[in-house]
Amino acid sequence: MALELNKLTPQVEAMGQAMAVRQEDLQGRAAEALRVLNDRPEVTDELLDKIARARKMDAWRRGATPLGKRLDEQCRVMNAQPSATLIAADGSQIYPDRHGIATYYLLNTGTIVFRTGSGQAPSTETAPTVFFEDAELFDSEGQVRTSDYIDAQRGRRELEALVLLAEAEREAAGGDMSVPIIALLDGPLLPWLPPGGEDNQIARDELGFFAEQMWRLRAARIVPIGYVDRPGSAFVLRILELVDLPLERIDRETLRQGRFRRLTDRLLFQELGPNTRSGLFTANSNANDRYEQISGGDRIAFAYLNVSRRPGTQNCIVVRIELPGWVAENAALLDLAQAAVHDNCEPAGYPYVLARAHELALVTQQERSDFEAMLVQSMLKNGLLPETSFKAENKRLTGSRRRG
Amino acid sequence: MGQGPVQVGRVLRSSTTAFTVGCRQLISQQGQRVPEFGALVKAEHDHGHVVYGLIYNVTIEDDAFVRQLVAAGVDSAEVIEDQRQRRQVPIIVDVLVAGFGSGGEIFHRLPPQPPATLDPIVTCGQAEVVRFTAHHDWLRTVLCAEDAPADQLLVASVRAAVEARPSDLQEAYRVAAGRELAGLLALDLTRLDGILRHLRA
Repeated sequence: MALELNKLTPQVEAMGQAMAVRQEDLQGRAAEALRVLNDRPEVTDELLDKIARARKMDAWRRGATPLGKRLDEQCRVMNAQPSATLIAADGSQIYPDRHGIATYYLLNTGTIVFRTGSGQAPSTETAPTVFFEDAELFDSEGQVRTSDYIDAQRGRRELEALVLLAEAEREAAGGDMSVPIIALLDGPLLPWLPPGGEDNQIARDELGFFAEQMWRLRAARIVPIGYVDRPGSAFVLRILELVDLPLERIDRETLRQGRFRRLTDRLLFQELGPNTRSGLFTANSNANDRYEQISGGDRIAFAYLNVSRRPGTQNCIVVRIELPGWVAENAALLDLAQAAVHDNCEPAGYPYVLARAHELALVTQQERSDFEAMLVQSMLKNGLLPETSFKAENKRLTGSRRRG
Repeated sequence: MGQGPVQVGRVLRSSTTAFTVGCRQLISQQGQRVPEFGALVKAEHDHGHVVYGLIYNVTIEDDAFVRQLVAAGVDSAEVIEDQRQRRQVPIIVDVLVAGFGSGGEIFHRLPPQPPATLDPIVTCGQAEVVRFTAHHDWLRTVLCAEDAPADQLLVASVRAAVEARPSDLQEAYRVAAGRELAGLLALDLTRLDGILRHLRA
């Protein structure tokens, strides 16, 4: 049955009206948030106490702690280093499909080493692996691996590839530390952790692996950056909600009713000039706490950055960059990394190396079909008759009829 | 045409009369350009079987990514080289089959089989160009080509054949090829005149 658009007409009309009302509400509250930021930007002891209390009252609240003295700090970097090396990795996957011809999953990692100022084409590589052995496919309870598990494996491979390439690049330079090497990942730097608190072994392994890679990068003076495009985070807004709230009134209920809900930090930083970053913050999250513990004191920090080249709020492209604490403490190194990332965002408003790493890693539907055609041949050679489920077959038939 | 054989790319699809090759980048250095319009190339099979062809079209595909870069005004040398050398979009090279070789002999007629998928296609060295063009029967094949720009291809490939010869033999070859064409195009003097003008220029 096709989508009967006529039945949706009244709903779409109502949706448009609701969006207009919501927009008006958001604009009003956004103006209020900006007023608080402009009027009360100082990071006082009282504010830090409030942040600590809010954290204590609601551990799941995604707040942050400012690392500077003001919430509205800005740092503009004027020039890019003439030579810098940017390394990026990205991954994609084919998840197990129980309706498919075989149970397997596939990971593909794309990497690029881009040497700014060299005039040379960057080095690119892809590393595909198919996982089909029982130990790879099934967990201890005999269930097929979940998408969360596969995503974590993909993340590990991306980070590991990044570290290996970055170390090789530093070694190729004879250990010369003067050329900045920046290792870029698409998304937050900290790995996603499964729920389960301290007891979860998988989470412990993930953080242990992550901390080890961060340590290796630090040893080679390579700057890891997690690049979050169009961030939906509201860390600074969570701080602003506390500014006017008396300490004693901070409890779970008042925190849940925060007046800047559904806004994002991006609106606070639309005035950042080109190649200008906000102040630095560190996210108050369980993962960051545990990373700090494992790493011996390092915490992941972040800042908002305008990667546009053109001035004006209408051209502003606010992204969030995440980096280890040891980079946040070294302003000169952070400036070099920021300038290199900003430079690499020209001309598309997004790091070229991340776009290319994604392109290299991407497994298209056509490529998946080609891979499965290879698999069919191999199965036939080994006396197996590949079969999809009746459901998959019917979906294929009904899908193609509609397109036809 | 350059000195030694260079791999142009690998066969994407083929038929008895033409084949299409995918290659990764345009090479232009030290007087050598690969792939080059009008160049003689070959696919080597087992047992000494060779299919010869002339490059008649080179297409550089685009995609949304490169269109975005062009529209946004890319000027980074590294990005430009990346797009030229490393992108996964192949350069498409169309080749007109002009003859084949077997047992050390060259035949100016269609081969028994086309090249196979992913066969490497390499340029022919000057000695091989001289050997292939020693007789003029291949000119008829090119003149009859329907999908290729036959006249321009003929001019480019005859000029390459001339340049492959020692300087004291070049004029003699040019004249001999012109005479052959005069015979083939005796009923189409306008076309003949156009080709000869380009051969002389």
